[in-house]
Order: sequence, then structure tokens, then C-alpha cells
Amino acid sequence: MPIIELNHLTKSYGGARGIHDLTFQVEEGEIFGFIGPNGAGKSTTIRTMLGLIYPTSGSAKIFGKDCVQHGPEIKRHIGYLPSEVFYYDNMRVKDLLQYSASFYKKDCRKRMIELAEVLELDMSKRIDDLSLGNKKKVGIVQGLLHEPKLIILDEPTSGLDPLMQQRFFSLLEEENRKGAAILFSSHILSEVQRLCDRVAIIKEGRLIALEKMSDLKDRTYKKFKLQAKNELPEGMFAIEGVTEWNSKNGEASFLYQGDINIVMRRIAELDLLNLWVEEPDLEEIFMHYYAKEA
Amino acid sequence: MNMYLYELKAYRNATMIWTASMTGLVLLMMAMYPSFAGDAEAFMDVLASMPESVVQAIGIQIDSIASLLGYYSYIFLYVSLCGAIQAMHLGSSILSKETREKTADFLLAKPVTRGAILISKALAALTLLLATNIVYFGAASLIASSVALEPYDYGAFALISFSLLLLQLIFLAIGIAAAMLLPRMKTVLPVTLGTVFAFFVLTFIGSSSGNGKLRYVTPFHYFDRAYIIQHGSYETGFVAASLVIIAVCLLFGYLRYRSRDVHAV
Repeated sequence: MPIIELNHLTKSYGGARGIHDLTFQVEEGEIFGFIGPNGAGKSTTIRTMLGLIYPTSGSAKIFGKDCVQHGPEIKRHIGYLPSEVFYYDNMRVKDLLQYSASFYKKDCRKRMIELAEVLELDMSKRIDDLSLGNKKKVGIVQGLLHEPKLIILDEPTSGLDPLMQQRFFSLLEEENRKGAAILFSSHILSEVQRLCDRVAIIKEGRLIALEKMSDLKDRTYKKFKLQAKNELPEGMFAIEGVTEWNSKNGEASFLYQGDINIVMRRIAELDLLNLWVEEPDLEEIFMHYYAKEA
Repeated sequence: MNMYLYELKAYRNATMIWTASMTGLVLLMMAMYPSFAGDAEAFMDVLASMPESVVQAIGIQIDSIASLLGYYSYIFLYVSLCGAIQAMHLGSSILSKETREKTADFLLAKPVTRGAILISKALAALTLLLATNIVYFGAASLIASSVALEPYDYGAFALISFSLLLLQLIFLAIGIAAAMLLPRMKTVLPVTLGTVFAFFVLTFIGSSSGNGKLRYVTPFHYFDRAYIIQHGSYETGFVAASLVIIAVCLLFGYLRYRSRDVHAV
């Protein structure tokens, strides 16, 4: 049984915003990436699944149950980290977490303390006094303390420093090993790349691609830029997979898709001053998908 | 239960301040009654020289102002103004809190129905208003019996004081409905003060024009204190009107709260 099942899910606000005809499934034990630029409809999709907003048409099912009809039952096993965390002012971290735990019919104290320790979160502080990153940590603990079967993360890493991001990712991997499915929404491909098995790419409310992470990686471009000591020999990089070739005064830039070893051998023949190899950013991957559709 | 307790705690301080100020108002004003009653003749002469409509507008009944209940009735107008502001503020604030503080994503992602959230919040508000009324009633009875110069109708006194709770329930329901009508409400106070004062001003107009129909428009007029003193009961029509307003507002609030989309902010 799929953990999440979206069936022609549509939410329209009359204008261009909203989501249109989204259909995909998240399987048991999967870490599923949900990527798209800002305003693409990621949050709208998540909020519909959580019953914060109601679909115009289509349906969303979690654990095989309809999100609108069985909301409370489903949410018992969901941990949700909203993109912007705001919590009741005038509360201490501890009070908020206990309030959060009080909604679940189990003892969450132990897990709560564990999580706070891993993330180095001071539970005696007032929430108003916390920095953005620390508020985010409160959100993480709040979302994980009841050991949910499905973890929904909406842009979870903003505000976390790299060390905390690592710890957070290991926490997620640990939860995943214990059997939790994870829906990870983000506009940064590299975070999704590291964790996810599959990704859905969404743009302007429509699903434009749904693939395995490994396939996506194989088919994406790498950006090369190099600076040679001498003029580049003519036809040096006239190999398959090279596009957008640009060369001037010993500097060259191009996109490459294919076996990395082939291009590296060619580069190794040169006397280089400098070399940059970059992952394309999300925007460029979108360009790629647009090109394919056109 | 956890949400109910949480809301009680969140509004505990505000309720204590409101209770203290309303209790303070009645204690202070009633403490002046003995000296007022001594000079009542002179005061009534002054009032009699004023235009009748003005006297009616500010809610003074010349013939009864010198009696304890008459004097209390007059003070009670201002107590009920405070009470109305407290109740409506509480109602709209407790329900719009999630959107104002952006905590909807926290609360609505928890395994609870929206109906349960609304009921917990409404019950918490009701509890707080009951607490306010118990304290107020205790203080008012105490001061009334200690300043009374001659025996007074305690039943009528109790009915007048109890009308504070009824009025507060009306404004609590209006506040709940207002929070649903204005889902993007950022601050509660302007809406509350605007509504309550609008009704209050209507009360003045209604009193001075003597228009019977206009009484139904403003809840401040539902529990006419002169009528209570005379008949020892409320007017059935207005009690019914109160219940209708409360029921309609609550039903609207409930249906709207269950069905609306909660947007990210």
C-alpha cells in the first residue's frame, strides 16, 4: 500500500496559483523529494495533504485513507515541519514541546529529550528569544517526537548551519531505517540529491517529472569551465555530449552529459590554470525539462 | 482537554486584569453611594434642569437614581461596556490566534478535528467569562449590602448583575463570528472596540429617541434594568433574541471554521 497517494489533486484559486492535476505515489519506507522553485505549489500540496486547505477536485490519501475524511486519524502518525516556524510566544521550548506531545497518545518524553540533545537545543529558553535556526530545531523536535510513520518536511534546512544540517539528515536517515517514509520538499536540488530515492519535480502547479534520483543524475548535465595556459586546440572537445561550447583566449565553458571519464581524459591532456566542474542548479534542470517538452 | 487547558492558561492574565478592573469599578462607584444618596435631592434638581433626552441618553432614571438599585443600574451600564469589550476581544482573539501568530500549521497538523479545536477554545472562553462573573458578582453583592441604607430587592440586584454574563455571551459569540468573517484579522482590538462602541452609541440613540424597535439592534438594551427592578424578571422577547444571536453566531463560526482554507502566511 502506498503511504501517500495523490489522485488528480487540484486546488485552484481562480488565478495561476494553486496546483493542477497532481498524481503521484510515495511508497513505504521511501524518501521522496519534492522539488520546485518558490511558488510552484509545493506548500499547497502539503497543506492539502494535512487538511489545512481543501482540494477543489481530486483526492489525497495517506495510509490508504482520505485526507479530508480521516484527518485526525492520519495525523496521529504524521510529523510535519512547516517551512516557516512560528510558535506561540511567551512559551518556553519545553512547554511547547510538551503541549505538542500532549496531542499524541503515547509517552514522548524520552524521545523529546534525545532529539533536543542531538540538536543541542536548550529546552529552558523562551521561544521568542531563539534565533531562526534554533526555532527550526524546535520545529524538528516537535515534528519527530512522536516517532511518526510519515515525516513531511517543507523546506526544512533554511536557517540550520551545515553541522546541524548533517545531524538533521542523519536523524532523518535513522527514522527512515526504522521504517518512516519521508516527503522532503525543497527548492535546493543538492539537499534532495543526498537523501532521496525518487523525486517529483513541480513547476507552476503541475508535475513535470517524476523519476528515480539515480536516473535524474545520469541524465543531468555538468557544467565545465576551464582555463588553459595555451590556446585550446581546435576540435579538442568535439565529443558526444558536449553542448553550449564557448571558448575565448584559452578559456572555455561547456555543458556535458555522459560518461565523466571520457571528458576527464581529454581535459587531462591540457596544461590547465584552473578548472571548475559544477552541478547544474535546479533552474537549469528545469530548462532541460522545458527543452524536452518543447 | 489539553487545548482547553492551554487556552485557559494563555488568557488567564488578561482575564484577571479585566476582572480586577470591573470589580474595581463597581467597588469604587458603590462606595460613593452613601454620600451620593445623602445629596440626592440636589443632584436630582440638576438632572431635572437638563434636557430630558440627554438624561435618558446617558442612562439615568431620575426618579430611581437615589435608590441603591437605581444607582447600581447606572453604574452597571459602564460595567457592561467593559464586559462587552472583554468578551468580544476574548472571542475573536482566541479564534484568530492561529492566523495572527501563524501557528495554524502547528495546531492543525495535530491529530484533532477542527470541531474539537473550536469547542475547546469556546469552552475555555466560557470558563474564563464565568470566572469573571463569579468574582464580579461576589464583589458587587458584598459592596451593595455594606453600603445599602435601607433594604433593597436582592433578587432584582442579582438579575441585573447576572445580565452581565448574558451580555458577555452575546459579545463572545459576536467575537467568534467576527474572527471568521475577517479571516485575515491581524489585530483584534480595533475590530472589538469599533463593534462594541458602535453598539454602545446605538444604545444612547435608542434611549433618547425612545424607539422600541431600535432596542433589538443593540444588545446593551436587552436587559433593561428599570424593567427588571419593576417586574423582577427579564423580558422574554429579548432573552429569546439573545439566544438567537448566540446560536446564529456560533453556528456560523463553527461551520466556517470547519470548512475554510487555512493559508500559509
